[in-house]
Parts: sequence; C-alpha cells; structure tokens
Amino acid sequence: MKNKYLALLAFVAPAFIAYFVMLVIPTLGGFYYSFTDWNGLAKSYHFIGLDNFVEAVTDDPDFIHSISFTLKHVIFMVIAQNVIALLLAILIESQRKMKGFFRTIFFMPNMVSLIISSFIWTFMFSQVLPQLAVKTGWLFLNQEWSGNPKAAFFSIAIVSLWQGVGYMMIIYLAALQGVPQSLREAAIIDGASPVKSLVHITLPMITHAFTICFFLTLNSAFKVFDVVYGLTGGGPGRETQVITLNIFEEAFSNNFRYGYASAKSVLLFAMIMLFTFVQVFVMKKREVEA
Amino acid sequence: MKKSLNILLSTVVAVLLLAGCAANKAENTGNQASEVTKAAPKEETLKIFIPQPQFKEQYDKFVADFVAKVKAEKNIDVKVQMEMPPNDQAPQILKTRLAANDVPDVFALHAINDLPTYYKAGYVEDLSNQPFVEKILDSVKSAVTIEDKVLAVPLETLNWGYLYNKKIFADLGLEPPATVTEMKAVIETLKKNDITPFQLTYKEVSPPQLFNSLTIGAMVNTDNQDFIDRMNSDKGSYEEIKTELFGIFDLVSANGNDRALEVSPADGAAAFAQGETAMWVMGPWYADTILKSNPDIQIGVAPLPINDNPNATMINMSVSTSLVVATDSKNKELAYDFVNFVLDDNETNDLYKSLKFNPIAKNHTFETYPWVNDALDYIKEGKAYKDPSMPPAVKAEVGKLLQAYYSNSISQDDVISGLDRAWKNANKINN
Repeated sequence: MKNKYLALLAFVAPAFIAYFVMLVIPTLGGFYYSFTDWNGLAKSYHFIGLDNFVEAVTDDPDFIHSISFTLKHVIFMVIAQNVIALLLAILIESQRKMKGFFRTIFFMPNMVSLIISSFIWTFMFSQVLPQLAVKTGWLFLNQEWSGNPKAAFFSIAIVSLWQGVGYMMIIYLAALQGVPQSLREAAIIDGASPVKSLVHITLPMITHAFTICFFLTLNSAFKVFDVVYGLTGGGPGRETQVITLNIFEEAFSNNFRYGYASAKSVLLFAMIMLFTFVQVFVMKKREVEA
Repeated sequence: MKKSLNILLSTVVAVLLLAGCAANKAENTGNQASEVTKAAPKEETLKIFIPQPQFKEQYDKFVADFVAKVKAEKNIDVKVQMEMPPNDQAPQILKTRLAANDVPDVFALHAINDLPTYYKAGYVEDLSNQPFVEKILDSVKSAVTIEDKVLAVPLETLNWGYLYNKKIFADLGLEPPATVTEMKAVIETLKKNDITPFQLTYKEVSPPQLFNSLTIGAMVNTDNQDFIDRMNSDKGSYEEIKTELFGIFDLVSANGNDRALEVSPADGAAAFAQGETAMWVMGPWYADTILKSNPDIQIGVAPLPINDNPNATMINMSVSTSLVVATDSKNKELAYDFVNFVLDDNETNDLYKSLKFNPIAKNHTFETYPWVNDALDYIKEGKAYKDPSMPPAVKAEVGKLLQAYYSNSISQDDVISGLDRAWKNANKINN
C-alpha cells in the first residue's frame, strides 16, 4: 500500500514541485503581503491588519467601478461565448463535408496570442473599419471603437469572442459527437422534430460540456487582462478598466502599493472562487448520463 | 632477473618523477621573478544597469574606453557586467535586484520621478564630493540635488514645450505665440489655410498629462509660487489653476484632429511629419520618430502659452536618465571612477554626442540639433524653469482624468476633485 502511494508521489513530483515553487509559494506570499503596507521597494514594512481590505471595499471608487465593469464583461462573455460556440458546434456537426475545414477556421484565432490579436484588432478598429464605413456607407462601422467608452466595451467583447469561441466550440463538438446515435434515431422514429430532439435529447446529454465551458469562460472573463491592456489600456480614463488592470496599476505604477494591490488580488481570488464553486455545484447536479 | 628489472624500472620512474618536480620548481621561481618587475593586474567586477538597449553600441564603446583607462592608470582588470533591459521592464528588474541584495554598483534612474523615492529608501550614495559635480551646469544640477546633496550624474535632459512645423510657420509668416490670445490668432490663420492646428494623441496617458506639467511649471514660476508646497501639505487645490489648465487644454483639443483617443503618439508623429498638423504638445523625445517618417521636416521647439502673461510662457527643463552609485556597492571606488568618467574632459563630448543627448556640462562643446538650440535660446533668455516635482501618481492620474474628460465621461469639476484626491492619497502614503 505504502509503496503504491510512493510511486504515485514520485510520478506527480516533477509537476508538483514546479507548481509549488512557481504558484503556491508566490500565492502564499501574496496573501502575506496583503496585510502589509509594503511598497515594493522599501526595506521595511508594517503590518496593518485588514486596513487594505477595508479601504478597497469602502474607499476606492476606481476599484468598485472596475468590479462593476468586470461583472458586466463576465455576464456578457459567459452568455455570448457559450451561445455562439454551441451554435457553431451544432452547425459544423450538421455538415456532411468540410467539417475539418470549418473546425480549423473557427479554432484558428485561438492559436494567436491574445495580446497579438488585440494589436491586430486595434489596427482593424482604428483604420480598417472606418475606411470600410466610408467605402460602403455602413455608418455604424464608423465608431470610436477604442475611444468611446460604450463602443470600447463591445470592441473588447468582440476581440475576446473572436479569440475564445473556437476553444469552447471544440469542447462542444466533442460532446456532441459523444451523444449516442441510438437515442437520436429513436427520437426520429418517434417523430420528434429536429428542434425537439435538440432540446430534449442533445442538450441534456451534453450538460457536462456546459459545466466545463461555463467554468472556463467564467474564469477567463473574470481574469481578463491582455485584451483590455492591448486595446484600450483601460481608457479612456478608467472607463474600461477591469479588476486585473486596476490591480496592475496599483502595484506597478502610481504609488506602488504592493500590499494594497495584493489585498485586491486576494479579493479577486475570493470572488472567482465563490462564483465558480456555485456554478460547478449547481451545474453538476443537472448532469445526466445515457 | 625479473626482480632486478623491476628495481631498475622503479628507479628510472622515480628519477623521472623527481626530475619533473625539479623542472616545475624551476619554472615557478621564474614566474615569481617576473612578478616582481610587473605586478599582475588585480581583477575587479563592476555591475552597471542602464535600461537603454537602443544605445548599446554607444555604451559598449564608452565602457571599453573606461576599462582601458582603469587598466592603464590603476593596473586593474575591470570586468564590466552591463545590464540593459528594455525601459518598461527596468523598474521591476532593478527592484528585484535591490530586494535580493544583488545590487548593481552603478544604475540609472529618472531624476525627477524615481530619484527621490530611491534616495528616501536609502539606495543612493551622496556624490557631492566627486570632481564631476563642478562641471554640471547649474540649471541641470538642481534637478539631481536633494537636501543639498548631489546624487547623480545627469545623462539625458529634456527641454520642451510643444513641437511645431517650422516650414508651415514660415510659409504663413507665423511666429511662435507668446500669449494665449496670440495663440488663438495663429490657430485662425492655420485654419484659414486648411491646416489642422494641433496634433492630438490621447490614446496613451502620457500626452494629456504633459498639460499638467506645463501649466503647473508656468504657474509656480509666476503667479502661484507655493502651489506645490501647499498641495504637498494638503492645503492647496487644483481649483486655483483650473482656468489655466482647462483654458489651454480645451483650446488645443478643440483645434486638433478627430478621434484623438485612438491616435497613439507613434501615429501622431507620422501625421505631424507629413505636415497634416502644424503643432503638437509633445517633447523633442519624439524627434527621432518624426524624422524617420520625413527626414526633411524642420522641427521647432517653443514654450506653450497658458495665459496672457508672456512671462509665464517658458520652456520646461527636465532631467530624466541619470546615473547613481548604490550605497550597498561592493566596489565604490570603481563606481565613483565610472560616474566621473561620464563627464571626463576627453570622453564626454563623444559620449553625449553619440547618444544624441543635450549638453549638460560646462565642458560640453559639441554641435546640437536645431530644435535643441531653439530651446537653449529660450533658456539663455531666462525663459525656462525646472520641471516641477510632484508625486508620480498624480501625473498618471492627470493623463487618465483628462482622457475621460476629453471623451465627455466626466466634467471639469470631476477632474479637479480627482486630482486633489490623488495628491492627498500620495501625501498620505508617502509620508
């Protein structure tokens, strides 16, 4: 028995050691510093208890604003990303030919690093779309895509969707292919319409994919950073500043408040943990097996 | 028979071994003899941290000259470990080094933004007694002096207000205006000739924040001399300079190109270079970028008027990259030698010229660019002030708030209260 655990440990060890050194220790360090007023440079610092947390919640309008903006982004992204990904997956799955081609095309943007794609889209938004608007007369394209706070919300969403949908689509595709053919055939024989068989057979059978995809999109939408950083930098002003960007700004510019920024990170961590726990708990219950 | 052979062989081997030892000994004594006539050079390591990889070639040559000089004068073999990370990552790397006690002996800091913090944290050595101090121009020296201690040797200085296209101005018979009223006349003339007066580049936060430095710089040197002191003790308010700050910001913003929040300074430099716009509230640190777009453009530097007092229209003089010696340096003598070598009479002209930096010392005699001379003319007339020192957090806040104000998300009063709050916060945290 003991030997078995030892062997398991030995296999896990290389990955675990890297994980422990690179992630667990810095995380614990972050928790530790969140109770201090360290500025990242001074040789000494003071323990100030929960002051950082109190200030973040009660006396920091920028942080509160960034939370509300992030929540808006999360809600929009979780819904839009999953709906679009599922639609794409169903569409591709219903094709007879060219499945591989479409799958590749829609997955392609995921291969481009997020910061690069936001730079590509910066060019699209500031040069290509306005030109297109002039040439075609589609005036709605002529927005201040990154300059107007309202439009900037959507330009961030567009880039995140363009980049993220492909990955979710692959997960849904795999799940769709896992739905037993016999169930579908039985439904068709019983005279169910395609819509009915989708709602009553296919969707319930892929709830495990929903659980994963909601988990992933929720997580990544909360932690969004690169896209906003590359597209608007949180601007104009702080209109499109997300939580991570707010933390980044607090720690690495302005007054260099490492301790305070760590406290905000801890809050973000708690928030994400809470949301994902609830989400996974609720959705796990609904999963069914054939 | 066999035994005797063995003995013979062993004797031969033993003799050979002994002989070998003897030969070694002879060589050893030979070495010692030569060391007496010429002592072996000492080996020392000097760690230098300058985050300007774009100038690697120039610095490498300079360091090679330094190494040669130390070798010749002090018979020390200096191994210089030069670290040149990109400028935007440099603060992080430097802080890590300092925290890990792996201190570079000489490192570069921004004299106005970083030097006070690092000095307060105890990382910067007092250099007041070094020979180079004598050579620095008085106007520059004040920027690297804190509490009467000279702390750094200045490398890069910036004399700025706004940039203008000299050809457009000459063609239309315009002169850089000395007051806001004159500026309005210039704007009218430019508009009549279908030229956009101002280049706006508000995509990044640094261009709008320049208005803050220019307004405060002009005000504390004319009508409101204790503004910064009072702000630092929580007794002032941006309300006092509201008219000037928004007067000039609104005037410039109303007469610039469209979609300013989507134009980065790099885009702006290209447009300005092509003569699409006549003026740009920006410093000559973009001169290189502009010239790359259009090598024939004639760039001018002039002070930005902020009210109708011509005496308030002055050039902003700022010192950025400066070299300091670390308090924890293990090799202070060499570090002192290095910072002195920067202003060495024989070397300094070549160094500053090759880096395209402005003259900062009395022994600087090299030719400079036309726009540098423009600014120097104003400085010689006394129309210049030292870049006002304020908390970096406030500067960053100005950029953000003015962006939001330009996008109509917040009002003038929101900007004022936001800036007052940022300054008070900075006071609270840094004191």
